[in-house]
Amino acid sequence: MNLIAAAIAAGLAAVGAGIGNGLVVGRTVEGIGRQPEARGMLQTYMFIGIGLVEALPIIGVVVAFMVLGR
Amino acid sequence: MVVKFIGLYFNLTNVVMITVASLIVFIIAVIATRQLAMKPKGMQNFLEWIMDFVKSIINSTMDWKDGGRFHILGITLIMYIFVSNMLGLPFLIEFNGHEWWRSPTADPMVTMTLATTVIVLSHFYGVKLKGAKEYGKGFFTPLPFLFPLKIIEEFANNLTLGLRLYGNIYAGELLLSLLVGGLAHTGVIGAIAAVPVTMAWQAFSIFVGSIQAYLFTMLTMVYMSHKVSHDH
Repeated sequence: MNLIAAAIAAGLAAVGAGIGNGLVVGRTVEGIGRQPEARGMLQTYMFIGIGLVEALPIIGVVVAFMVLGR
Repeated sequence: MVVKFIGLYFNLTNVVMITVASLIVFIIAVIATRQLAMKPKGMQNFLEWIMDFVKSIINSTMDWKDGGRFHILGITLIMYIFVSNMLGLPFLIEFNGHEWWRSPTADPMVTMTLATTVIVLSHFYGVKLKGAKEYGKGFFTPLPFLFPLKIIEEFANNLTLGLRLYGNIYAGELLLSLLVGGLAHTGVIGAIAAVPVTMAWQAFSIFVGSIQAYLFTMLTMVYMSHKVSHDH
């Protein structure tokens, strides 16, 4: 049971991180395509966005490891 | 490893690692400020770069008249968290079933302490700089019925600020120990395959560690600016 729970937690965390990061980076790439001079500013905000979005999926991975150990 | 001493519980691993991180940051700062010159060279250049970097973080959230007093706080946070995140990457020392050398930020207690310190500090500076009445009115500012949401926002900011740092560093270290302790021991092919994967994961952990240090400092200044700055 622990294995199924850990797999579900890690899998859903991966889906969440994938969709979230994909949206952020996709919009950034589109913005850079529209205005290449804004690259530095957009890159800064992209990293902030990735850090914020990845917080909860990484907590999900930690939960998966915690459940795996029981 | 947790010991009880005069009725208080101390996690000896954290005590050792926090002392090591503080010592390293102190030594970096002392070496960088030997022989201060108007034209900086060497380590002084590096510390001036850090100071300019934190100044740009503060400038992007509040104007320098309000935010200048948090410059040293920002420099301390970013250097301390960056060094703490990097400490667990070269090696992890385990002795008698207890870990003795790992990143101090891989423990939720340390990161939640940092996050709570920063949030309480922002409330303290809100009261000190704007006065208690302005601070109280700030909770009802855009629309009064959002007051419970503002209270929940404080707790949610606190939790996510601490747990984000913990989750990133702990997951990185856990995967590293699984790779080195698990994959490298399953036969010859496992050992050969573990080398490039571990190198890639080490590089990614360095990247994540620096991003998380930068993000923690940036979010500290953002939360500070919500309480302190006037032009909202």
